[in-house]
Amino acid sequence: MSAMPLPDALADVLARGDVWRGDTLASLPDRALPSGHRELDDELPGGGWPRGALTEILAERSGLGEMTLLLPALARLSAEGGWLALVAPPWLPHAPAWAAAGLALERLVIIRAGRQAAWCCEQLLSSGGFAGVLAWPEAGIGAQALRRLQVAAEGRSTFTCLWRPLAQASAPSPAPLRLALTAGEGGLSVSILKRRGRPAAQPLNLSITRPGRLSRALAGPSLSLAAARSAAPAAVA
Amino acid sequence: MLPLEALPLRQSPSAVVTRGRVLVGDRLAVEAGVGSGQKLSTALGLLPGLAVFERDIERERRALENLACWAGHFTPTVSLAPPAGLLLEIGGCLRLFGGAPAIVKAVLAGCAEQCYSTTWAAAPTALGAGWLAQAGAGSIHHDMAGLQAALADLPCAIPGWPREVESRLASFGLTSLGDLLALPAAGLRQRIGNGPVNDLLRARGELPDPQQPYVFPETFAIALELPARVEHAEALAFAGQRLFAALAGWLHGRQLLLRACSLQLTHDDASLTTLSLRFAEPAADEGRFMRLLREHLARLKLAAPVEALRLQADELENKSGASAHLFDQAPAGEGALACLERLRARLGEGAVQCMAEKPDYRPECATLSQEVAPDGGLSTRPDMAALPRRPLWLLPVPQALAERAGRPQWHGPLQFLSRAERLESGWWDEGEQGGAGDVQRDYFVARNPQGQWAWVFRATDGWYLHGLFA
Repeated sequence: MSAMPLPDALADVLARGDVWRGDTLASLPDRALPSGHRELDDELPGGGWPRGALTEILAERSGLGEMTLLLPALARLSAEGGWLALVAPPWLPHAPAWAAAGLALERLVIIRAGRQAAWCCEQLLSSGGFAGVLAWPEAGIGAQALRRLQVAAEGRSTFTCLWRPLAQASAPSPAPLRLALTAGEGGLSVSILKRRGRPAAQPLNLSITRPGRLSRALAGPSLSLAAARSAAPAAVA
Repeated sequence: MLPLEALPLRQSPSAVVTRGRVLVGDRLAVEAGVGSGQKLSTALGLLPGLAVFERDIERERRALENLACWAGHFTPTVSLAPPAGLLLEIGGCLRLFGGAPAIVKAVLAGCAEQCYSTTWAAAPTALGAGWLAQAGAGSIHHDMAGLQAALADLPCAIPGWPREVESRLASFGLTSLGDLLALPAAGLRQRIGNGPVNDLLRARGELPDPQQPYVFPETFAIALELPARVEHAEALAFAGQRLFAALAGWLHGRQLLLRACSLQLTHDDASLTTLSLRFAEPAADEGRFMRLLREHLARLKLAAPVEALRLQADELENKSGASAHLFDQAPAGEGALACLERLRARLGEGAVQCMAEKPDYRPECATLSQEVAPDGGLSTRPDMAALPRRPLWLLPVPQALAERAGRPQWHGPLQFLSRAERLESGWWDEGEQGGAGDVQRDYFVARNPQGQWAWVFRATDGWYLHGLFA
């Protein structure tokens, strides 16, 4: 299909970052941020997480490894000396774990935004000083607020990720990249709901490093509260 | 207009009076027929709603000094020319700003922003520029010949000269300074005195005319009284702008950066409210000051109307020299720290923080919140034995889990994926206020049937969910 040379004017148009052919993935105007997962990079336009555009991650539930999926990219941003911000995270970040993932804690800002997560996020994006912004907007965030965020993100080199519930998957969103995460066989199942380029065929099964060993589950300790009460100080190994 | 414009936030129409006679009125007053020299009673008869202020020379001098501070933006050599003149020596900064028209434009825009009306001129001599400005010339003269030609066209009514000089020149039939120059100087000196003739020579650059430069004060603290009581915090931003413009100019003139300042509001019942503005990194940018001030004012509830403001620079530091970029490479936007300090102003203290690790085995004590430091702080990892993997998220309070058939339940039975990790620590702050207390727990990594990884522990009174391996 590419046998016929394209006219120059058409080639110029296709070289733009915001124009792509339906059968390929778009290229990005800005350098993409490698996600650290080869299979995922192959499926993302530009070969990684986009900068200067919203990325929506819709996780089915928490504790699936959804944040671990982003850690390689965040560690890379942090190693470059970039500022990272967590806007209105739903739980308390546990410093030793974030530090062990290779993030510089003094440049990882936690913003307890309350009900102003979208406003904070917009301010952070338009300041242009952040390499990565992860935000947990309130559940009822409207399309207009999302649109404002997308406009604020455009033209910046910020990796912006919004965490939203999976129930919002069918709601329209201006974010150019939307992923849905569900628990998969021995890892994390990532389905790309929306991307610039041809639609994704099937979900990816990514192997995410997880704590503990699955094999232990077979020989798990048999524990009961009564046993614990009888020998409280002794560790049950 | 300075007597009137030294009063910010005045209502309109308004006029300034001295000794029972109108000195100057604002636009609405003039349109209603109020004019200079009118009796106050006449003016009030014309316009019963006229707000009248007594002239205060001291207030005008302060306003002029604040403007001189602000002019530190443009040049380090500023001189006051009372009652209402300001001389900026711009010869040395033409290149920095890209030519005289660019400086003039910036100065005029700054004055307009602070609601001062201006007449201006730029000329090689101070006195010549002053006379041209008072005549409303609004022109730039680069060389002496151009200045002398412009001066020759000025009328003989020079504001600083005695009234009888003016009338005597008029009786000679002389109308412009050019006519004056055509006469022999010695005879002119005998008839109108040395002063005016020397002034003329100074203005033409034929006599030296050294100026006394304005000395930027050592410490910055200026006050501004408001003519009308202000009841809305947002309206204070306008009055505050004059103060912050002066502060930014002063910082520039003294080559300092500001770390913290305080704005004191005096209420009409003589009580005080102090707003402390603290910057994440030392700054000298007026726009940044104003953005932060607006955030603070938006949150402020005024207990009583405000009648005066006072701005004081509290913590300063020296500005280290930095080269500007050769090309325009500065990133767009205000930058991370400026943004964070605005968020802090809006969300409150403690809402914008970064973490640090604390060497404590109790998970709830291992995270320390601290203020964001401009230089990134010190990155030291506590010297502890390598711990097994920790979860990224902790629950604020451990959540009690039900137990069924010897297994804790969290959306289904939990499956253990690790050995128990025993944590016994914290006897020293048992019973203390805010202390986590003595902890004796066995931690497990566990997974539920939905595929959620959790960090659970067993204490003496049962199972708890404490973290999520997200």
